[in-house]
Amino acid sequence: MLLLESAPHVPTIAEGILWAILASPIVAWALIVLYVRKLPKIAGWLTVAGVGTACALSFVTLFNVIDASGGIAIHTHEWFTAGNLTVHFGVRVDGLTAVMLVVVTSVSLLVQVYSHGYMAGDPGYGRYFAHMCLFTTSMLGLVLADNLFMMFMFWELVGLSSYLLIGFWFHKPSAAAAAKKAFIVTRVGDLGLLAGMLLIWSKTGTFQVDEIQKIASEGLVAHWVVTWFALGIFAGAAGKSAQFPLHVWLPDAMEGPTPVSALIHAATMVAAGVYLVARFFPVFEASGDARLVVAWIGGITALIAATIALVQTDFKRVLAYSTISQLGYMMLALGAFGYVAAIFHLFTHAFFKALLFLGSGSVNHATNTFDMRKMGGLRKQMPVTYWTFVIGSLSLAGIFPLAGFWSKDEILLAAWRESRGLWIIGFSVAFMTAAYMFRAIFLTFHGTYKGGEPVDHHDPDNHFHGDPAHPHESPWVMAGPLAVLAVPAIAAGWFNINGAFGDFILHALPETTEKGSEFAWGIAISSTLVALAGIFVAYAVYIREWVTSKTIREGFAPLAMVFERKYFLDNLYEDFFVRTVLQRGWNRLLELNDKYVVDGIVNGSASLAGSVSRRAGVVQNGQFQTYGLGFAAGVIVVVVAVFAAHPL
Amino acid sequence: MELTVLVFLPAVAAALILLLPQKQEGLARWIALAASVAILALSIWMFFDFDKGQTGFQYVVRKEWVDVGSFNLQYFLGADGLSMPLLVLTTALTAASVLVSFSVTMRPRAYYACLMVLSTSVLGVFCALDFMLFFLFWELELFPMFLLIAVWGSGRKEYSATKFVLYTIFGSAFMLVGILVLAFSQGTFDIEQLGQAQIAGTAIPVGWVFLFLFIGFGVKLPIVPLHTWLPDAHSDAPTAVSVMLAGVLLKMGGYGILRMCVTILPGVADDYSVWFAAIGAVSILYGGFITLRQTDLKRLVAYSSVSHMGIVLLGIGALGSTALMGATYQMLAHGVITGLLFGMVGLMYDRTHTREIARLGGLARQMPLLATGMVFAGFGSLGLPALGGFIAEVTVFLGTFERYEWAVLMGIFGVVLSAGYILWTMQRVVFGPVRHEWDSLPDQNHWWEHSVVAGLAALVIVLGVYPALVMDMIGPAINTIMLRVGS
Repeated sequence: MLLLESAPHVPTIAEGILWAILASPIVAWALIVLYVRKLPKIAGWLTVAGVGTACALSFVTLFNVIDASGGIAIHTHEWFTAGNLTVHFGVRVDGLTAVMLVVVTSVSLLVQVYSHGYMAGDPGYGRYFAHMCLFTTSMLGLVLADNLFMMFMFWELVGLSSYLLIGFWFHKPSAAAAAKKAFIVTRVGDLGLLAGMLLIWSKTGTFQVDEIQKIASEGLVAHWVVTWFALGIFAGAAGKSAQFPLHVWLPDAMEGPTPVSALIHAATMVAAGVYLVARFFPVFEASGDARLVVAWIGGITALIAATIALVQTDFKRVLAYSTISQLGYMMLALGAFGYVAAIFHLFTHAFFKALLFLGSGSVNHATNTFDMRKMGGLRKQMPVTYWTFVIGSLSLAGIFPLAGFWSKDEILLAAWRESRGLWIIGFSVAFMTAAYMFRAIFLTFHGTYKGGEPVDHHDPDNHFHGDPAHPHESPWVMAGPLAVLAVPAIAAGWFNINGAFGDFILHALPETTEKGSEFAWGIAISSTLVALAGIFVAYAVYIREWVTSKTIREGFAPLAMVFERKYFLDNLYEDFFVRTVLQRGWNRLLELNDKYVVDGIVNGSASLAGSVSRRAGVVQNGQFQTYGLGFAAGVIVVVVAVFAAHPL
Repeated sequence: MELTVLVFLPAVAAALILLLPQKQEGLARWIALAASVAILALSIWMFFDFDKGQTGFQYVVRKEWVDVGSFNLQYFLGADGLSMPLLVLTTALTAASVLVSFSVTMRPRAYYACLMVLSTSVLGVFCALDFMLFFLFWELELFPMFLLIAVWGSGRKEYSATKFVLYTIFGSAFMLVGILVLAFSQGTFDIEQLGQAQIAGTAIPVGWVFLFLFIGFGVKLPIVPLHTWLPDAHSDAPTAVSVMLAGVLLKMGGYGILRMCVTILPGVADDYSVWFAAIGAVSILYGGFITLRQTDLKRLVAYSSVSHMGIVLLGIGALGSTALMGATYQMLAHGVITGLLFGMVGLMYDRTHTREIARLGGLARQMPLLATGMVFAGFGSLGLPALGGFIAEVTVFLGTFERYEWAVLMGIFGVVLSAGYILWTMQRVVFGPVRHEWDSLPDQNHWWEHSVVAGLAALVIVLGVYPALVMDMIGPAINTIMLRVGS
């Protein structure tokens, strides 16, 4: 990867290999579905085999694309035709695809291995791995797709697997609710994506990514079309990538098993939105306005999520808000022309955030809780978890020379060039990131142990083995992946020191004003200093307790409450909008209208007909006198009428 | 010949069933099953034997029937790319409805005879090419439906059965006027000829003729505000009837609009198309919002059908080949998906004897297979890719966007609403804490239940991953219609 001398040319990789990447996890899925009831134990190994095959083939693809200096290969086939609509099914491989393939499959593989330990003994063991295979396939399909229609399909399937995995412990009301929330909130965003897809097809007649990129950057459609299309794409991306104001589902998604959070809600799926925007980067560039929306929404998201992360007491939710914040960073970068910076950060973040989540799972495995107030002092019992977690946190905080340092630095540089406001946001987020991560570390691993959560032996779904009162290091299937992930968490940033990574993925775009990767000492030093300051503040408060967190909270009580209540967005959406405005208001109104007005007319006309017939029936009383009277009256009327019409 | 066998085999089966002595009434279900499997196999064979390259009708049967002056009727059946898939849908759902009622023990002979007559009438509607014959089949369907709901139903079954019949007859009365005006102005009841003629010189303006036909079909589809019979009929009907009602009977409305209104009077359809799009979009949203308020599982699915049938009308409103193909595809996809969904609701009801959502919950534990089928059908209903509904919805939206983008932009909100009501329902019915009152209930455990669920689920997937199979057949038929609209 470090030598991209020749001009990009078409990669020679066989199309069959690309389809095999997509097929291998789905084959594993099919086998699990067929045999899971008889042999649940094999599900884990089938998954590792399926994802492992996909991972190996992804590396083959990556090296092939490197040989081609990041060139593009597209293999497309007609899928179906309806009138003038023709939909294709095809794969596209280039630098961006290759990087995403490797990230998805390698993180997925490690998570599957880890899951063997974490999910051992769960009654839904087989189902878990089946869903994981389904997820991996959907994600790979999204990454490989060569057209927007197919992307949209896999995009929704990713949503399905996310739903199934968040709600994996479906007997817990909170898990069932969180799964529903995730799907519906992301679908609100998908509405934009769908609308964008309708718009671009009606104006250009194509779904092919390369054609859309070309049409947008050469200005072959009206500017408003480009802008609205880009905003539609971003709406979809904001849903999946948890951007303000659609980020509310991601923290709740932590109801899923922790390896799921690591893979799907940290490393890969939530990055799908960033990938999508990056894929259509030329469109955003051509629009300008849409690009600025991306930048500022990204910045706001990064800031809001970081402030909420500061006050969380749940270990996993700190990481969840941190993920939202980092995704905001990536969007900010994309909006500030930092295509390389964003994808580079996606790449490094995938490793260290997966590491952090798996670390939190390891802690949970020992303590039976995620509540940091019940932890403390775990560094002695869990050295592997502790040290890998520290590495991940330093990387996330952006400390030299770890992976996060390099990618975050590029983002801040891009922000600086675009606008000072964006840079200030990014800079302050860097401070908070370091602070909340080390707050979490100090609460969890330092101080004294507070006993964890006692095991409820009456709960048949609790498969916790061990004793939370005496925590222990996790078994090798769990600790191993932590150690493996620590390597890229340290070193993944070095790929772009000479700009090689950037050049590689830049060839996936037609032409761009991207300035390439550079290094600015001022940005690098200032961001490192601010991160160190964040760590120091956490140290001062939680280790030294020069100022206690309680004092700080009291000093900023209104602000702290806003953070703790998550800016009241859940209340606004769920309590106010859905329950009050929609269900008790509008929908109820329509229902009453349906019952009493629409159906009232139906029933009313029926009973009117009934009563009219009853009244009219009175005439037929069976008495000859009445009939004779009527007959005579009739004759008179006819005679009068005839004479009136034809006077003699 | 094939079509005659297809249409009347169930009727023959009905006669056989009624001739069974009481001691052998247990045979009724087997005769019904044999007949429905036979017509299913026949229709599938016809489907693959169908020449997709050819426009016009195939398997044509044509006999003089009544010839009195200008009033001549024919026994005229035929299938084209529009009706062939609907015939397969009907036979598939007939088999499904026989299987889901395999445990019916109350008056089985009458029950299965009614189901078989129902099947004959619907099959007849989809392939009759004489307008009067079409109308006879159309009306024939009311008789078994009334009995099935009123006798084997539950709740306010007499009210719902009567409402269903009267409402349909209300529509039919208008339709009959339209048919007679059309036929007497052209001197023929031949749908094929009417579909090629320039209609003029009718006794009442063609706009009125169109409207009369449209009311008849619109009641069936149903369109808002002519839909209130549907939730009542569904919630009080036995499971098999719900499957047939949502699965195929509603499609008679959509088929009628395409085959009669649009094909025979394309100019009027074009003038009115904006109303179709508007009513379609309103139906999608109105149905979706009200679905969110339902507390009865069957009423909930019924209202969701109102929403989904709005998509059909929206597509018809665009009057473009893509949108019309999408609308046809939506009829097929909705037929299978909602048939499956009602089937799952019915199988749950057979066990729990309640459809009240508030009383259900946590069933995924006690009935994992039923819950899986339910969630699958639910995702089909909310338009998940790789399942049939997605292809249909997106094709309609894409095809309609260019002409009525405002209607599509309204309609796509239905996508969020459907996610809302489906997933909320799943949360309340199959997920959540276990309720011990259902502990002793069996999961899906009979071969007939397994085969219905597996068969319909397979169809949903085929429609989702291999759309060309059906799209290529619908295409030429829609293009024929479009040639009329264009000229």
